[in-house]
Amino acid sequence: MLNYLKLLWFIRYKRVKIISLGNQMNTFMFKIALRSIIICTLLSGQVMAQASKIDSTGMVTLRIDPSSARGVSVSQLFEEVNFIPLETTKESLFGSIHQLKITNENYVIYDYETKAVLIFTKEGKYIAKINASKIEKDPDVKGQSFYGFDIVTQDGKSLIQIDAGKQIYYFDFEGKLAKKVPIIKELLSKEKDYTNYKKFSDGTIIDQNFLEKEDKDSTYYNLSLIKDKKRVESYFSYKTTDYKDDERGHGGKLYDYGNPDEYLYIKKFYYNIYKLTSKKLSLAYRILFPAGNSLPMDFDTNPIYKGKGYEYYDKNRDVFFDMTNSYLHYNNLYFQVRNWNWSRDEKKAFIYNLKTNELTSIADIEPDSTSQFLPITDLASQYDFTNRGFHIVSPEYFYNSYSSLTLFTAKEQNEDKNRKYNAVLTQYFKTQNKKSNPVIIQLKPKKN
Amino acid sequence: MYKITSITLAFLLSITCSIANAQQTTPANPGSAKGIVRDTAQNYVLKSATVSVYKSADSTLLSYQVTNNYGEFNFKNLPVNVSLRLDVSNVGYATSRKTFTIPADKNTINLQTIIANRRDIRLNDVVISVPPITMNGDTLEFNAAAFKLDSNAVVEDLLRQIPNITLWGDGQITVNGKEVKSLLVNGKSFFGGNMKLATQNLAKNAVQKIQVYNKSRSQESTAPGDSTLEMNIKLKKGKDIGFFGKIGVGYGTNNRFETDASINMFTPKMQLAVVGAMNNINKIADNTGDLLSNSTFKGVGTNVEYQPDFRSEGITRPSALGANFTYNFVEKPTYELTNTLKSNYFLQDKNTNYLSDIKTTTSVNSTDKVIENSNTNNQSSNTTQRFDSQYEYRKKGHSLNFSQEVNFNQGDNTDQTFRRANNLQDMLTSTNNSLNTGNYNNRNFRFSSNYRYSPYIITNKTRFRGFSSDYSLNTYNNESDRLNLTDFKSFTGTAVNQKFNRKYNTIADGFKQEFNLTIPDVKRLIFGSKNYSTFNFELSNKLVLNSDKNNDKVQDLDTINNVYRTNSYLNNQITTSVIEETPGLKIEKSFQKSLSNRYYKSLTIGFNPKELLVSQDNKSNRSFQNSNRNYSRFAPDAEIRYNNYQYGESSYNYNLNYRTTMKIPNINQLAPLTDSTNLYYLQRGNLNLKEAVQRELSFSFYKYDQRSKNTLNYSLTVRAGLIADNIADSLLIDEQNRRTVYRVNADGHKYINGDANIRKALKLKSSELQFNIYNNFNINKNPGYTNGVSTYSSNLNTNTEGSINYTYKSYLAMALSQSWNTYRSKQEAFNTQYSGKTVGTTLTTSYNITKKLTLNSSISNNNSSSSNAKDITYTIWNANIVYRFLKGNNAEVKFAALDLLRQNTSVINYGNADSYTIGTQNVLKQYFMTTLSYYPRQFGKKNVAKK
Repeated sequence: MLNYLKLLWFIRYKRVKIISLGNQMNTFMFKIALRSIIICTLLSGQVMAQASKIDSTGMVTLRIDPSSARGVSVSQLFEEVNFIPLETTKESLFGSIHQLKITNENYVIYDYETKAVLIFTKEGKYIAKINASKIEKDPDVKGQSFYGFDIVTQDGKSLIQIDAGKQIYYFDFEGKLAKKVPIIKELLSKEKDYTNYKKFSDGTIIDQNFLEKEDKDSTYYNLSLIKDKKRVESYFSYKTTDYKDDERGHGGKLYDYGNPDEYLYIKKFYYNIYKLTSKKLSLAYRILFPAGNSLPMDFDTNPIYKGKGYEYYDKNRDVFFDMTNSYLHYNNLYFQVRNWNWSRDEKKAFIYNLKTNELTSIADIEPDSTSQFLPITDLASQYDFTNRGFHIVSPEYFYNSYSSLTLFTAKEQNEDKNRKYNAVLTQYFKTQNKKSNPVIIQLKPKKN
Repeated sequence: MYKITSITLAFLLSITCSIANAQQTTPANPGSAKGIVRDTAQNYVLKSATVSVYKSADSTLLSYQVTNNYGEFNFKNLPVNVSLRLDVSNVGYATSRKTFTIPADKNTINLQTIIANRRDIRLNDVVISVPPITMNGDTLEFNAAAFKLDSNAVVEDLLRQIPNITLWGDGQITVNGKEVKSLLVNGKSFFGGNMKLATQNLAKNAVQKIQVYNKSRSQESTAPGDSTLEMNIKLKKGKDIGFFGKIGVGYGTNNRFETDASINMFTPKMQLAVVGAMNNINKIADNTGDLLSNSTFKGVGTNVEYQPDFRSEGITRPSALGANFTYNFVEKPTYELTNTLKSNYFLQDKNTNYLSDIKTTTSVNSTDKVIENSNTNNQSSNTTQRFDSQYEYRKKGHSLNFSQEVNFNQGDNTDQTFRRANNLQDMLTSTNNSLNTGNYNNRNFRFSSNYRYSPYIITNKTRFRGFSSDYSLNTYNNESDRLNLTDFKSFTGTAVNQKFNRKYNTIADGFKQEFNLTIPDVKRLIFGSKNYSTFNFELSNKLVLNSDKNNDKVQDLDTINNVYRTNSYLNNQITTSVIEETPGLKIEKSFQKSLSNRYYKSLTIGFNPKELLVSQDNKSNRSFQNSNRNYSRFAPDAEIRYNNYQYGESSYNYNLNYRTTMKIPNINQLAPLTDSTNLYYLQRGNLNLKEAVQRELSFSFYKYDQRSKNTLNYSLTVRAGLIADNIADSLLIDEQNRRTVYRVNADGHKYINGDANIRKALKLKSSELQFNIYNNFNINKNPGYTNGVSTYSSNLNTNTEGSINYTYKSYLAMALSQSWNTYRSKQEAFNTQYSGKTVGTTLTTSYNITKKLTLNSSISNNNSSSSNAKDITYTIWNANIVYRFLKGNNAEVKFAALDLLRQNTSVINYGNADSYTIGTQNVLKQYFMTTLSYYPRQFGKKNVAKK
């Protein structure tokens, strides 16, 4: 068994070496290498025996050359763009939007810097703030804080749910405490507390760190589906010893794109976009980037990269070491890539149209009258969109935000052009400044 | 009268210059042109593409811009009705070109969309025209070839042509208002890092491009606003090897002369400079760097370093020789990998003749004063040799430095002093005449090393966050021979006349070793990433071992037998060993507050308790000098730092510091051997002396402007302290001016001093103005005893300087500066007060009449007044005219007239705790000089065969 594994390593390693050395990858070699890595991944999964098989029957291969990305005007992609400045008062001043949720009447945001949940009306008027002062201090917990919130419906009533210390707090949309419930400790129930885990509508829970106890050795899974307290499927197994002394995170990330029955999933160091349903994980899109931008096939598993990730990125600055923020809206597949270069000239956020095969650079979506000639992201000046992507993606609306510094800079660059802004922005530019609260951008995407 | 004439002349000169320049300015251009740059194939606008506008006729660059986030450009101040050319360039794109004329009736033109086409195959050879500026990632690049200058131009001329780069009157370079902190040539420091050496010597034609970027990678701190601007001059291929230098000879009236020669050679890995100079006009350079920076090919400006020093004491005839060698083992050093050896040799020979005539008034008690008149004639010669080298090695987290220095210093000295003491009634009380001749030979060697380690990549699991260790060794051997003849005569009282003829031979040698070790982040080292405490701990230890050996041989002339006999009292051998051990712990806590894109504030509070342990051991032939003393004291330090960074506006830094230091009395203060030859100053010891403890609180503040135009920067530092048991003088002074000094511990020494600096820069259309105000002050209250009476002297010294620098293109540079120096001293017990003031005004102008002819003038007016003497005013006017000739402007003839008004008198005027001194000294006076210089230069290998 071990010999078999070794042989596999050898084949994989050799091929990849040829490729990375040559740097002028010929398609044939690439295909073979890629096939071998996929086989390997699958095989190694089978070797571990417990991991489920990833369905790759519907896999589509996308060849994407970032330098061929084109620009479009805002109106080609979006029917409507609304700017919602969030009111700035001494009390409501916050840093940036870390989390955004919407109800029929409100925008509710979480700001990491001030560790506060703020409630605004749909017009951006400030209503209330929930911060540490409204949360009971647990004498046993040092530096107690909370790092997000959820909106839940209880007894037909919407409430803001915040976990802090030993309690779950429920607030109404006036910021008033409705009730508090003690958190069930894992220790007490001997079961994992899945309260805050991502779930499907049928109740299936997604566990991104499932532990399987087995004699002496413990195996973890990067992705598992749990239903009725039982594991249904598990993908991407690993042992803690695999990643010992490795500074690179090897997990994956789930992206909610507004479909209650499906998430997109990207595993670190692979340019694969998976679809996850309550039943299974399937490989949907396999992206091929030009050789100069691609990580070695075995970057995730080959021990020669262990603990040397940053060094590798530093030496190979064009290589995309991360693919993030992926959403699917009709035929448009959104995603971002990251490399060690910090130049803004490089295109790193894209929309790939699965029907027309057109690649659009999000940074080059040109403001026009639909967006009142103002940018829809801060890709040209700041890092909010790079870091977080869209806050919310749904079939009807996308939500994004950026700082007043970005909006005012854009306004200054428009100064000579006699632009007319709507009443909201006219009032905003008149009364606010670069240090005001961030602005929410609501975009209505065309269904192409 | 002279003063008025000179100042009028100076102003006339400057006004003429302004008028001459005003005629050269083109009238305001009302034209504007705008447009948008678009890649139509990919359908997006080009952000940060370079757009430049040239005059079609002669291709002179008028202006350039980088497109904004909308891909737009908008030029203003362009000429109308003239054919213009617009070039658009961007990395990866072919240059797009458009010719246009702004119609005079509208003054504006909209060029609409300029189409940029991708250059699919990147062949640098096919580029038709080089854009003047490109953005390459985060690096701003200026391409030398795009700027048309005459063949003799140097880098400085090129920088002046680039619209957003400003060369300020005081030598500072700014790019878009931000100061360039360091300048490299091909990624390496150039002949010691002096910016002028590169900008005023390197031919523009040897330069490929100038790169400007933020040097933040090398910064350990991640706080915003900490990055500094660095400029790199990239030389053309093949031009990274070459030489430049100077040879100059000058001769003038009164046998004044000066001569200097230098040669600088460089290759990709090596730099070698050799320089020599000799003169008799007080032009003294103390190191190789000073000499090199003053023999550059182009030296326009109002800088005043390495000028004949009309204010220095006496007349000095220095000769100097220096060499400077650098070898980079790595051709392209980076922050991650550097391996460099630098060495430097400097030889200086100095002959000085100093004459002075001074009067010092000292308060003896509340009514009496002693007035001492003293004439000095001093002849000295000195030869200094210095050889030092540094080795630097840096590779991914490891940093190793070695440096060594050897100094040889030998010379002789003859000093003749006639002193007369009078009382207030102007009656002669005593005279003391002395003749001292001697020679010395000093040698010293210094070695230091430093090793620092900090992990190259830090993750949460990295326990060991590095350490820093230093070692230094300093050894010396000084030998001197001296002969002293003293004749003291008393005219009142009972004091006896005394005569001495004494010979001294002194040999002193010793060493000092210092070990330092610092381990930061001890908490993480012990507990790993577990967060037991929010405090940060740093351990440090300092150990100093010091040993000094003194061997004094003293002989007196036996006047009867006319032979020198050993003075059994002063003949002595003494060894002092000191061990200093300082363990310390630093506890720090930091608080940060930030709001995205609004501000970043940080506050750090640090407490540094340390124990000072000192053991001092004296071994002497004289039993009363044998002692072993131990000192121990808990000496805490503390610090508060606050930084407030406001995005796009300013950063403010505040620092509050508390320091405790200990000064232990040395053997000469405890139990000196009193040499009775100097009757005007007899020193006695005090075995009961305790250590003095100084506690100082200091506050500093500075504001750094982040805006890109018309910046205002200021800083302030104030230090206040108390010295408990300060080692002070108890002075016994008799009416013959004989002083006996005892050392005592006196409480109540207080001081407060500080300095402030304000800088304001204004950039006008084609000229720059810079204002600078600097002030420092020192107030102190010194306890002491005079004739048994406890006296406090309160002193106030201030120094204020204001300057205005004005530069108009490359034609004219002017600097006007004004300085005020004051002193005031008050003796509370005697109710006496001394005060004085020196005011100086200097106007320096440098005007390029043509490209080859330059006129320089410097006028300074000095006024010195003292509470007890008449005002002294004098003006020094120096002027010179420089003409450059030969192809390449390689030769220069200079005619200089110095001290045109013949007024240099050099006045002495200063105050002390209980006395004030006024007088005159010999100084350099009027002379005229003609200097011929030749500047050989070559960049790149010579083309033997021309095709």
